[in-house]
Amino acid sequence: MIIEIWTKEKYADNEEKALVERLSRAGLPVKSAKLSRLYNVDAPWPQQEFARLGADLLADRLTEKYSLSKRPGTGGLYRVEVWLKRSATDVIGESVKEAIHDMTGRAPAGVRFGRAYYIEGAGRGTRDAVRKLKEVVSKTLANEIVQTINIAGPGVRGAGAV
Amino acid sequence: MKDLFSKFASLSEKELVGLDKAYGWSLSAAELLQARDYFRKLKRQPFRGELESLAQTWSEHCKHKTFSGPVKFHSGGKVKKYRNLFKETIVRATKELNRPWCLSVFKDNAGIVEFGSDKKWGLAFKAETHNHPCAVEPYGGAETGVGGVIRDILGVGLGAKPVLNTDNFCFGRLDSKAKLPKNALGAERIFRGVVDGVRDYGNRMGIPTAAGGIYFDEGYLLNPLVYVGCVGLIPVDKIEKRVRPGDLIVSIGGRTGRDGIHGATFSSANIDEETSASAVQIGHAINEKKVLDVIMRARDRGLYDALTDCGAGGFSSAIGELGAETGAHVRLENAKLKDTRIEPWEIWVSESQERMILAVPPKKLPALEDVLNAENCEYCVLGEFTSNGRLLVTFNSEAVVDLPMDFLHGGVPNVEKAASFHPPAVSRRPPAAGRPHLKMLEELLSHPNICSRHSVITQYDHEVQGGTVIKPLQGRYGDGPGDAAVIWPHSATGNVRDHSGFAVAHGFQPAAGRIDPYLMAVYSVDEAVRNLLCAGSEISRAAILDNFCAASPRDPEVMGGLVLAAEGCYDAAIGYGAPFISGKDSFYNQSKDAAGKDYPIPLSLLISAIAPVEDVRLAITADLKTAGDPVYLAGITGKGMGGSVYNELHDTGNNYLCPVDIKAAVRLYGALLKAIKTGCVSAAHDVSQGGLAVTLAEMAFSGGLGAELDLASALAEKGVGELELLFGESPSRLVLEVRKEKEKEFLRLLKGLPAARLGFVRDTRELEVRLDGERLLKGNVFTLKRRWKRDLL
Repeated sequence: MIIEIWTKEKYADNEEKALVERLSRAGLPVKSAKLSRLYNVDAPWPQQEFARLGADLLADRLTEKYSLSKRPGTGGLYRVEVWLKRSATDVIGESVKEAIHDMTGRAPAGVRFGRAYYIEGAGRGTRDAVRKLKEVVSKTLANEIVQTINIAGPGVRGAGAV
Repeated sequence: MKDLFSKFASLSEKELVGLDKAYGWSLSAAELLQARDYFRKLKRQPFRGELESLAQTWSEHCKHKTFSGPVKFHSGGKVKKYRNLFKETIVRATKELNRPWCLSVFKDNAGIVEFGSDKKWGLAFKAETHNHPCAVEPYGGAETGVGGVIRDILGVGLGAKPVLNTDNFCFGRLDSKAKLPKNALGAERIFRGVVDGVRDYGNRMGIPTAAGGIYFDEGYLLNPLVYVGCVGLIPVDKIEKRVRPGDLIVSIGGRTGRDGIHGATFSSANIDEETSASAVQIGHAINEKKVLDVIMRARDRGLYDALTDCGAGGFSSAIGELGAETGAHVRLENAKLKDTRIEPWEIWVSESQERMILAVPPKKLPALEDVLNAENCEYCVLGEFTSNGRLLVTFNSEAVVDLPMDFLHGGVPNVEKAASFHPPAVSRRPPAAGRPHLKMLEELLSHPNICSRHSVITQYDHEVQGGTVIKPLQGRYGDGPGDAAVIWPHSATGNVRDHSGFAVAHGFQPAAGRIDPYLMAVYSVDEAVRNLLCAGSEISRAAILDNFCAASPRDPEVMGGLVLAAEGCYDAAIGYGAPFISGKDSFYNQSKDAAGKDYPIPLSLLISAIAPVEDVRLAITADLKTAGDPVYLAGITGKGMGGSVYNELHDTGNNYLCPVDIKAAVRLYGALLKAIKTGCVSAAHDVSQGGLAVTLAEMAFSGGLGAELDLASALAEKGVGELELLFGESPSRLVLEVRKEKEKEFLRLLKGLPAARLGFVRDTRELEVRLDGERLLKGNVFTLKRRWKRDLL
């Protein structure tokens, strides 16, 4: 189960503006961009257990929201996921795994940490636009030596096709 | 290649070199031949673990072969030979100075000097570089760099408590238009990742990051430099450590995995597109915090005889060093692993982070286990130190390494390196001005090498432990620049009645090094000592670290620059009376861009300086304090615009570097320290990048006050023009705000020394600078501040 956490819209201006500027400096002018944290919790638990982790452990109730499905309000945007490769030690994932054990008394099989970026206005759907997006993401938001990039959205066949 | 490996002892030089490349050892041909001949004598083939151990122990990163090897230096038709460049320059200065307050130098993980009024404490200081890992994965590289230098402090003597982290970075220009090779990361990406890594590791460890600098130059585009330092406090009776035969080898902290294989040998190689992902190291600050807590408790209970950190080379390096005088038997099957799909030799050389090795008397193991369990810190007993002088590493019944310590540590061949130096053309013609002075001042203030670092500094926790007296951002509004950090380490001493503290500052002058490496070194020491003085610290007790970074030392010109800089270090250390207590070097910092253009870094020497502050309550900052106070310029302005930031913005046609009169500087600094300690001086700031105009502007806007000044009274070398007065960067100068009621006393203390009153602090918002009554520039201090306070990130 992937638990997605993001800053509430009213507090997110600075981080979103900074992301737009970084993409722009890297050669990808975009209309808007949003970002989330992702926790892939590997455990055969019921939905409400993951909801509890999202609400009580991973999100700051005052400034953040969580979701167990794709973040609402992001239809039509490119969704870029950046994950550490399986071969790279995931320190945040390990810490969250320990925290889940401390909170619930049960440890999941594993936790991996990643980030999601939602990007609007990146050429919408053309093959060139997706290639450019991938190129800019790999230059600015990820390091493909230790991370993988998955892109979904207009013009991308199947989730994670890049 | 496996076939070739199995015939190692009978291979030709060409075959050995091919094997080296395939296995990633970074050994030279001479070293490969030495190893081959050794196994020939033994009439057996080596184990993989043995060659990995030799590659690691003999690596540039661990052995410092370039700096501590023989050099033949040709310059100006003369030849000078060094048997050991490091010992004949850096170490020699320390030996000749022979300071009784140097408690441990050049023999442990960090240098240690005496600290505190009761002489019960030692101050340990170490700076490292983590350049290659940061070029490949900036976040992980910076994190593990910080983690590594903290472990150096934890592993010095029987363990020091870290109280301050330092960070100094060099990056390519953020506006660089160079086309990068396929796998290279851009300067902004590296910058952001490095800052994030330093922030996350330091903050999570609970250690303040409060001193450092950032420097941008196109030469660092493909090879960033990431200097990380740490200061710790250690009781003087815990400085000596000694492994005893029979002591158990106990590894504490993180588990061992495949991450970081070949880190030490990778650090001794050029970065290219083939760089392996396994060289990337991942940091885990929480694990290291557990290790820190265990060591502090176990040290005070005397539960081990010695310890060191697992740095580059992992177990191989740490156990090899600790057992160098005794011998060791290591049983790798006892290691705690992250991943069981790992070869025994990989366990031996893995550079998984957050591990330390302790030499524990068997009867003390149960008590140590109690501490480890209480802190939830993992550990394993890997074997024991022996008395046979051999390193025996086994995995169950399989031998991984079986070598005498003598060969491992003393077998590396000494190869003489050629060095030469051809100085660049130097022009001493009168410098030509660029745009109007105020316009140039504004451009200088927003230059990336001068502008505010607040967007980086504010990400770091510089207050944790509650002892940061002089902070990295200073002044009336808490956002002005400073010269040194002052720390009151009461959290380590537990004594809030003792107001002894220490100051840390840096000197870094690569632009000068492009013209004259010798002067670069002298400038850097002068700048570091002057920065310490600006905070009011005891510069007669200053101790310094050298961190050299350079391109490939196989290039004789690179070696030539290194020789000159090392000679500069010797002269400056002797002249300023500041012994080197520790240091580190990093070579092969060069790569090619997409067009095949070589990007060697400029010769880079970071001088980190530390000195006691008798009473932290009397430390001073750089911001102007009181309207009506006189403003003095101490020191003599010399000719030349060489190495200046002004020259980068507008080529004046003059690149001359003014020499340093070290004796005169020491006399001046000594008198100024007395003036500061007697309360005559309320603000001090060194004249460095951007020159006097930038120094004055920074002091004014940090204090929110103006000043009316006339440079006619400034003491200057004959023929110095207004451009050199305003923007020249000649050394050994400071600007001081003198308390008007103490001006007479100040002048008495400075009698016969070069200090001239330029004018007064004014309760206005204008900085006005004249020369013989004629206005050179006049600007609103808050406008100047806006130009300076730009976001780098």
